[in-house]
Amino acid sequence: MRELLLEVLGWLGYLERPAVLLQLAVVIGLMVLRRFAARRNWLRQLRPRAYTPLALVVLAASCLLLALLGLPYGLSGQLGMLWLGWYALNLLQPLLQRRLGTETARQLDSRLLRPAYLLLAALMLISSLDSIRDLAVAPLGSVLGVPVDAGKLFNAGLITYLVLVGSGPPAAGVAWLVQRALATSDSSRKAMELMLRYTVVGLGLVGVGMHLGLNTTALIAVAGGLSVGLGFGIKEVFSNFVSGLWLLFEGSVRPGEVLLLDDDHCEVRKLGLRATLLWRDRDNAELLIPNQTFFTEATTSYTASDRMRRCQVDVGAAYHHDPHQVIALLEATALGVDTVLAEPAPKGLLLSYGDFAINYGLRFWIANPIEAPVISSAVNLEIWRAFKQQGIEIPFPQQVEYSMVWPPEQHRPNVDNH
Amino acid sequence: MMSPQNKAMPHPPAPSQATRRVAWRCLAVLASLLLLGCRASDGLPNVLYLGVEVNPDETIDANLLADTRQRLGYLEAGYRQLYPNTRFQVSLYPEQQLAWAIQRRNRAGLGPDLLLINGDMAVQLLDAGVIAPFPRTEVDLNPFDPQVLDRLRNSSGELAGLPLLVQTQLACFNRRRLPVAPATLEQLLDTSAKGHPVGLSMEAYNLFWTVGSLGAIDAIDTAAAGRQPSGAQQQAIERWLTWLQNANNQLRVTFYASHSSAEAEFQAGRLDWFPCRSSAIPRLRKTLGDGLGVAPLPGGEGGNASPINKLRVLALGTNASRSSRERALAFSCFSVNPLSQRNLTLGSQVVLPANRFVRVPVSSSATLRAMVTSTEQGSQTNTLGELIHSNDPRLDKIQTLLTTLVFGEVPPSKAGQSLVAILRNRP
Repeated sequence: MRELLLEVLGWLGYLERPAVLLQLAVVIGLMVLRRFAARRNWLRQLRPRAYTPLALVVLAASCLLLALLGLPYGLSGQLGMLWLGWYALNLLQPLLQRRLGTETARQLDSRLLRPAYLLLAALMLISSLDSIRDLAVAPLGSVLGVPVDAGKLFNAGLITYLVLVGSGPPAAGVAWLVQRALATSDSSRKAMELMLRYTVVGLGLVGVGMHLGLNTTALIAVAGGLSVGLGFGIKEVFSNFVSGLWLLFEGSVRPGEVLLLDDDHCEVRKLGLRATLLWRDRDNAELLIPNQTFFTEATTSYTASDRMRRCQVDVGAAYHHDPHQVIALLEATALGVDTVLAEPAPKGLLLSYGDFAINYGLRFWIANPIEAPVISSAVNLEIWRAFKQQGIEIPFPQQVEYSMVWPPEQHRPNVDNH
Repeated sequence: MMSPQNKAMPHPPAPSQATRRVAWRCLAVLASLLLLGCRASDGLPNVLYLGVEVNPDETIDANLLADTRQRLGYLEAGYRQLYPNTRFQVSLYPEQQLAWAIQRRNRAGLGPDLLLINGDMAVQLLDAGVIAPFPRTEVDLNPFDPQVLDRLRNSSGELAGLPLLVQTQLACFNRRRLPVAPATLEQLLDTSAKGHPVGLSMEAYNLFWTVGSLGAIDAIDTAAAGRQPSGAQQQAIERWLTWLQNANNQLRVTFYASHSSAEAEFQAGRLDWFPCRSSAIPRLRKTLGDGLGVAPLPGGEGGNASPINKLRVLALGTNASRSSRERALAFSCFSVNPLSQRNLTLGSQVVLPANRFVRVPVSSSATLRAMVTSTEQGSQTNTLGELIHSNDPRLDKIQTLLTTLVFGEVPPSKAGQSLVAILRNRP
C-alpha cells in the first residue's frame, strides 16, 4: 500500500516541468473562464449552454498552437477530450430520458454511464503518467493470507460493482423471455427476475473471492466469523434477508401483489434484501416494511391465487318498495359500471329489516383489488342515480327537536309553543 | 397511481452564491499552494522517472517488479548517498508497447526522464525522436567497447544510450535430476534420450543460439546482409534446420510456443534442462533453490553456441526539465562507474557490467562464469544484431518458417532456401 501511495505521490513531480504546468494552466484557466463567462454572460449574443463548446474550441486551438510551437500538447488535449466527453454525457441525458423515461435514464446515467466514464478517464490519465501494468501488480498487503495487489483489488471492486448494478437488465431480460415462453404472471416474472439477480450477485461474489485467490479454508473462516456476527450484531438484517428469499420462493409476497396492511390496500413495489417497499393507495405513501413482518405475521392478500376481489356496498330502501324490484335494480346498476365484472355476476341481497328501511347489500366482483374504494364509490353513485330514476326512496332517520318546559307538568304541546 | 408532485424527491437546499464563491476561492488558494509546494526545492523529493523495457519472454508481474526494483535498488542506494533527496519512479513497459507508450507520454509532456532499454531499441527510438541523444561531453565513453558504442549510434553518429549492463542467455538445469549440464548438442539429445525432459522455445530469437553450435552463423550473416550464401554455407543452414526438426522428433524434447511457457514447465519440475535468460535466475532460484544449475549453452560440431545477449542501456527522455535532465545524467554517470558496475554485478549476479574495465570474479561464482562465457559466445551474433533489429519484419516470416519446419510441414532443404530468400529480402 505504501509503495502504491508513494507512486501516486510521485506523480506530483511532473509539476516541476514547465510544459506540464503550461498545459494545466491552459485547461484550468479555460474551465474557470468559461464558468465566470457563463455566469456573468459576458458574450450576450451567446446562450449560456454555448459557452462550453466555445471553450472546447479555444482549447483545441490552444493545443494546435502548442503543437505548432513544438511543445507537448497531449495532456491538455486529453483533458479537453475528457471535458468534451463529459459535456456529451450531459447532452445525452435528455435523449435518454425521452427514450427510456426519466427514472430509468437517471439511473442509467448515475449508476453506469458516469461511473464508467470517470473510470475510463482515470485509467487514461494514469496511463499517461505511469505504466498501468506495473501499477496493477503493486502489492497492497494480504487478505486471509492471500497477497492482494492493486490490479486484483481493482478488478474485484469493478466486478462487484458491475454485478450489483449491471445484473438487473440481463436478469429482467431472461425473466421476460421465460414469461413469454411459459406464460407466467407478471408477479412471477418479477420474482424470477429478483431470484436471478440474487443468483448472479452470489456467483459474482464467489467469483470475486476466487479471483482474489481466497481458498476454501479462508472462506470457511469467514463464514465462521459471520455466524458469530449473525448471532449478535446483524441478526435482524440476516433474518430479513432470509425472510425475503423465502417469501420470493413461496410466492406470497411478490412485486405487484396487493395486500391489506392496517386496513389499507397496498401494492408490493419491490422486494428488497432487507425490506419490502409497499405503495399505499390511500395517501400515495411508500412504506418500507421489514421482510420478517410478512414472515412472522398474518397478512391478507387479494392476489394470492387470483387478482379478482369481491366488494360489497350496502343501501337501504323504503318499506313500500318491492324488494324483488329493488334487488333487480341493484344488480342491473352494478352491471352498468364498466369496472365491475359481468362474471361472476353481481348479486343483490336483502340483508335485514331495519328500523326505517329495508337494508340491501350488493356484491360485485372487480379485476383490480387496489381499485376497490374507487369502484365502490362509482357503484354507490350509480345506485343513487338509478333509485332516483325509478323513484325508489332511500329513507333516513329524522329527528324533531322539542323545547321542553320545566317542570314537565307545565309543558304544553309543541304546536302551542310556535 | 402516484402523482408527479408526490413522487418528486425533496431536494437539499442549493448552496448560495456566496458559499460557492468562497469554495472556488479556497480551491484556487489550495491549488496555488500545491503548485508552490511542489516547486519548492526542499519540499517533495526530486523524482527521477525511469521507464524500463520488459523483454517479450518476461511477464510483468509482482515478481518481475520486485526483481527490477531490487536490481535497480543497488544503484539507487548508492546514488542516494550522493543525492539523498531523490526518489525513483519506475514504470515497466513490454517491448511491443514501449515506443507507443513513451511517444504518448512524451506528447503529454509526461515522458520519463531516463529509460532502461535494449541497445537496438534505443537506436530505433532515437531515430523516431522518442528519446534524446546522449550528450557527447557529459560522459567518458572510454570504459565501453568501441564496437558496442558504434552499434548504439544512429546514422548521424548520435549516441542512443549509455551501456549499463548485459543480460545473457544461458542453460538452466535441475541439478537434483541432472548433475552436469550437457556441453554439446549431441550430449543434449543423449541426455533427453536417457529420460531427462528438455525444453526449447519456438521463438526464433530464443532459438538462435543453436545456429552457432551447428556452424551456420556466417551463412546467416551473409544472407542477412543481402548476399547469396555459398554452397557450404547453404549446407550449414540446412544442417541447422535438420537438427531442429530431428530434435522435435525426440520423445523428451519439447518445443514451447513461448519462452515463458518453457520457464513455467521448468519451475513446475516437468523439465530438467532449458535455455534461460540471466534475468530469470532470481525467479528460478526462488522455486528450485540450490537445485538450480546454470551453465553456458551447449556448443556443437560447428562451434560454440551463439546466444543473443541483451545489452541494456540508459537513454534520455525528451521531456525532462533542466534539473531532471541533470539528475538523469548524474545517475547515468554514477551507474557506469566501476564501483557501481561491480556492485550491480555482484549484488544481483544476474547481469554483467557494460564497463569493460570491471573485472568479473568468475572464480567465485559458477553463474557469473557461465554468463561471461555466454558474453564471449554472444560476440558471434554482433554482426547479425546490426543487420536485423528486433522489429525487423523478416523476423515474423522466419518465425513462421521455423514453426512449420519444426512440425515437419516443410523439409529442411526447402526451408533453408526459403530462409535465405527471407533474409536476403532486406526491408
